[in-house]
Amino acid sequence: MEQVKPTRMELMKTKAQIKLAEQGRDLLREKMDALIQEFFKILSTVSASRDELDAISRSADLALLVAQAVDDPVTIRSASFATRRAITVDITGKNIMGVPVPVIEKKRVSKSMLERGYGVIATSGRIDETAERFEAELDLLIELAETETAMRRLGGEIQRNRRRVNALEQVLIPELKSQAKFIKNAIEEREREDLFRLKKVKRILERKKKAQKEKAAKKTQGMG
Amino acid sequence: MDYGYVNARIRGMKSYLLDRHTLENLIFQPDMESLIADLEKTPYRNDIIAAKVQYSDVLCIEYALRKNFTHTFRKILKFVKDSEAERYIRIFLHRWDVQNITTIIRGKNIHVTNEEILDCLVPAGEMDEATLTELIKQPDVRAVIDMLATWEIVYARPLTEHFPRFSETGDLAILECALDRYYYENALETVRKRSYNNALIRDILGTEIDIVNIKTILRMIRDHVKEDLVLDFLIEGGKELDIEDLKYLLTLHSVNEAVRALEKTSYRFLADIPETVVMGKISVLEKQLEKYLIRKGVNAFFSDPLSVGSVIGYFWAKYNEITNIRIISRCKTADFPLDQLKEELIYV
Repeated sequence: MEQVKPTRMELMKTKAQIKLAEQGRDLLREKMDALIQEFFKILSTVSASRDELDAISRSADLALLVAQAVDDPVTIRSASFATRRAITVDITGKNIMGVPVPVIEKKRVSKSMLERGYGVIATSGRIDETAERFEAELDLLIELAETETAMRRLGGEIQRNRRRVNALEQVLIPELKSQAKFIKNAIEEREREDLFRLKKVKRILERKKKAQKEKAAKKTQGMG
Repeated sequence: MDYGYVNARIRGMKSYLLDRHTLENLIFQPDMESLIADLEKTPYRNDIIAAKVQYSDVLCIEYALRKNFTHTFRKILKFVKDSEAERYIRIFLHRWDVQNITTIIRGKNIHVTNEEILDCLVPAGEMDEATLTELIKQPDVRAVIDMLATWEIVYARPLTEHFPRFSETGDLAILECALDRYYYENALETVRKRSYNNALIRDILGTEIDIVNIKTILRMIRDHVKEDLVLDFLIEGGKELDIEDLKYLLTLHSVNEAVRALEKTSYRFLADIPETVVMGKISVLEKQLEKYLIRKGVNAFFSDPLSVGSVIGYFWAKYNEITNIRIISRCKTADFPLDQLKEELIYV
């Protein structure tokens, strides 16, 4: 505070800064509201997909367990060698209120029985059902990867925005306001001092004038 | 061929198979340790102890089951050596050769490590562990097929024949399908001549082919695969369903329609399963078909005692026992509810 020059110029500058900070805070608040709206929109789809994923994952594990139990785990592993392993996904991006979020092109991982690569004769429907459920799980995982990443990024941006708003509201604006108050007080104090000084000078001058007048009057009486 | 001796040995071995009461005891074991301890009181003792050195928990049991199956049939092959019965047993054991070759070519196709491939092999067939290890050392699918041809193993024939199509398309299912079809064709060819034993084997093989075809068709109908694509996967030589019957089944639009169309065959029991239980799950129907096949195989015990029937019956009974123990042990790892576990078991 001591470094601030208590001048009118400085006061005007500080007041302009306060106005700008308040405008910024309002804009950030608006942005945060919009982000929160987007966040909750995604959140509802994510939580539904999460429940679905849990259910699919449980049923896939159960199908695998039954297939391993009845067909022998070595048969299942052998069938897994026949399936094509690579899964490619195209990822592009989009902006939500300035936050870059990924967009994963939804190519279905789920395959028909003939596309899986293993022979039909020596494999069982249990293997098909296991593969089918894990493919469905993978499909959902890819979908969730997009929405969860978007949600995480939006969440991060909301947090950063909240910190910025708090910094403006709790630190910068109060500091600028107290600076302005200090400058204003200092200017007023100086004005009062000036006024007092002027009054004092005026009084001295009047006293001097009065003394001169009295001296002049005594002189005229002595001569008369 | 002294079938009296073979029959006596097999009936002796059959007496060591676990009865229903022992299996139920295994089901009620609270955890894997108790299950392993209980299995150590059965004829699986030696295999379990040997497996414990390398594996623990369910893997130990599964490894022991595979070893036991291999040992048991190697033992049977020894006492039926150079006899007619050996030829019949080999028909059923060859399916493990087919499975092993399939696993090797699948592994070689996507360059899986040799150790990983070896872990998935069950040397219960004609090809022993040494032969399979040598086969695994081949660098690619072509080399594996060439090696089989060099060793004059019959399964090189369908693989060599279909290799150009595989090279063009990269579709491994072509080779697998050719191999599986050849297995059944070759097995039927072995028992083509008229005799009691041949008829017995033909009957079981014919039923198995029917079941494989029904399973294939049901899966294809469920996945709405085009009819002309399915024909490659059908096997001729079924006991009750010829290719024309199968083609008719393929024209049906739903699994339920196909099941209803089987009402005039021995597979009518499929129609008794409520639709609500099936709910598009082929595995439910598959289980009943497998149960039927195993029951038919085990019933070979009741055929002429001076025939190959007892050996074939034992083969299916042993297969059934091993499957049941595997189901119990796998379900124990997942804390499967007891009633559901019992439903999964194939009691024959």
